[in-house]
Amino acid sequence: MTDATERRRERRARHTGASTPAPIRQITYDLPVYELLNAEGEQRLHDASMRILAEFGIDFYDEEVRDILRQHGAEVRGETVFFDEELITKYISMAPRQFTQLARNPEHNVVIGGNQIVFAPVYGPPFVQSLEGGRREATLKDFQNFVKLAYLSPYIHHSGGTIVEPTDEPVSTRHLDMLYSHIKYSDKAFMGSVTSGPNAADSVAMAEIVFGADRIRETPALLSLINVSSPRRYDDRMLSAIKVYARARQALIITPFILAGAMSPTSIAGTLAQLNAEALAGIALCQMIEPGTPVVYGSFLSTIDLQSGSPTFGTPESQIGLYLSAQMARRYGLPFRGGGMFSSSKIPDAQAAYESVMVMQPTMLARTNFVLHAAGWLENGLIAGYEKFVLDCEILGMLHTWAKGVDLSDEALAFDAVAEVPPGGHYLGTAHTMRHFRDAFYRAELFDYHSDEQWRINGAHDSYTRAAAKVKQLLDNYTPPALDPAIDEALVDFMTRRRAAIALEPHDF
Amino acid sequence: MDFSDLSDEDLWLQMQDDLYDGLKDEIIEETKEALKRGYSATDVLANGLVAGMDIVGADFRDGILFVPEVLMAANAMKAGMEILRPLLVETGAERIGKMVIGTVKGDIHDIGKNLVAMMMEGAGFEVINLGINNDAEKFLNAIQEHQPDIIGMSALLTTTMPYMKVVIQALKDEELRDDVYVMVGGAPVTENFAQQIGADAYGRDAAVAVEIAKAHMASRRVAKA
Repeated sequence: MTDATERRRERRARHTGASTPAPIRQITYDLPVYELLNAEGEQRLHDASMRILAEFGIDFYDEEVRDILRQHGAEVRGETVFFDEELITKYISMAPRQFTQLARNPEHNVVIGGNQIVFAPVYGPPFVQSLEGGRREATLKDFQNFVKLAYLSPYIHHSGGTIVEPTDEPVSTRHLDMLYSHIKYSDKAFMGSVTSGPNAADSVAMAEIVFGADRIRETPALLSLINVSSPRRYDDRMLSAIKVYARARQALIITPFILAGAMSPTSIAGTLAQLNAEALAGIALCQMIEPGTPVVYGSFLSTIDLQSGSPTFGTPESQIGLYLSAQMARRYGLPFRGGGMFSSSKIPDAQAAYESVMVMQPTMLARTNFVLHAAGWLENGLIAGYEKFVLDCEILGMLHTWAKGVDLSDEALAFDAVAEVPPGGHYLGTAHTMRHFRDAFYRAELFDYHSDEQWRINGAHDSYTRAAAKVKQLLDNYTPPALDPAIDEALVDFMTRRRAAIALEPHDF
Repeated sequence: MDFSDLSDEDLWLQMQDDLYDGLKDEIIEETKEALKRGYSATDVLANGLVAGMDIVGADFRDGILFVPEVLMAANAMKAGMEILRPLLVETGAERIGKMVIGTVKGDIHDIGKNLVAMMMEGAGFEVINLGINNDAEKFLNAIQEHQPDIIGMSALLTTTMPYMKVVIQALKDEELRDDVYVMVGGAPVTENFAQQIGADAYGRDAAVAVEIAKAHMASRRVAKA
């Protein structure tokens, strides 16, 4: 495309206000990786985890799973399963070091692992928050709005999963609405349902409709989030979902969910030893069910306020924990999930910004391969914030630029520009500047760079207010990506049949 | 441990201090000592245990005491109460309150609920903790077996939260709804949700839950009088 047509396109876009998403550019992180432990320290943590697995074990609330573990050599006593180091090492080594996840738009396929970084939206909040609407229960409409916002951001590489919990839809069929919304309103990769085995099977069936059954067995189309109910416990619904996904060769993130102090020791080392043991046990299980199952080593780790008992985010201890868990995942050759734009704040204020960035910086430096909760997180994950989402995307944009590292080419060393400008001159008109000014520096759209006077003339808005306007503009001008009508029809047909079948099943509510 | 050389007044103060420091064995001995001196169970409760826990509660609220300290204090309180409770029943004293508490069906998250149970015990309530994953029948059976004043239900997941309404409906079906005060809580639960499902109260945190439970028991005593 020539400069002229590029400009014409931009001009037209400005006039029509069309929100056509720029294609994503997944981050390839070749900068130094920040590690806190030397080899000896790493070994010490590993040994502690092995001791936990061998002496204390992990509970698995599913009989079939315990049988699988027993048949593969683990020792089962009641609901508790014990592993020795040899067994753990044998099975975790079967997991791929990295894998590709399919997206509806092949340009949006993502690579998980290695030196790749993927950003995905917040996951799980039952509430939403906005400047105009305050805090309220999340609905399916909100869910779809966040899918659209994620689709429209070039800095969000993945559509995520339960971006918000659509509390206006029945629990028994919610998963269908969420999956369909990801497929319909975005063309980025998405996550499957983990709330039960049958819901996981529905997720696989819908992915098969979109991508083809053979194709997804070869390359996964679903990446689903398994939480360990720490301390040392896998519950029945997560295990039934693991079985379905592993057998269908779909990717899994095995994440101990730990608020240290309550769910793990108050020390970082003790917490990490437990987290590592929990994650490895689940990852080994996936490989026992189906060797080669793509799996991500997850770490959801923060702390509680031991005075009040409330969860706390953005704490220095959680940052150290993030570095350590990423280092352990690398030790085992596994893709790593962790971090995010975490905060305990209820609105996108200074606390929200500081806490979020305090976690996000280590998330990058630790080279986190899959960053769930990269945008929208507020109030310990109870809220998805509309304005917070677009503000977080602004930071993610900056991180994209930062992660590129340093270009040391002749063009970047810019001798021609230095030659062109005499001492005391300026660079604003050099040929080099003319070649690069448009994208030389990251330009934040939501941060104000005006003079005080100009800022006042413009209405003296803060970033929260500007973000609210941005959300409105994005949603008002959203146009959905194309979806093959035959696939759409097949999905709708599948959901109609499933809704009818689910309606006949026994329900508590 | 010998507290016999303390004056009565000093014994009460010692009990309050030892509760504050979470010294369970001391509280047991001091409770016995006070009873030995002829004080009624009601007196020991009021002058020693409740007075002590009031200070613990205030200092927790004001950010001086930490959760693990309150846990220790509550354990000490519970130990004292175990000695006093049969005596209180014997004398026909109005009970502080009895609560059945559990996480509802499908949900295995119970750290918050256990914090509430601990704080309730710290306030002198007798707590029957049903643990995790409780269906309506378990709540109904516990109500018939233990005759509680209050039932408390908790959920962390939005997908299990609606089950609280199922339990409330079961209480209505069994004509037990008017016999118990229903309190609900958990991270995704709101006041609005509590009203919608027909609960009596929503406790946004453990300290508030205890305040609500105490207020309910007090108003019930007034109503009875």
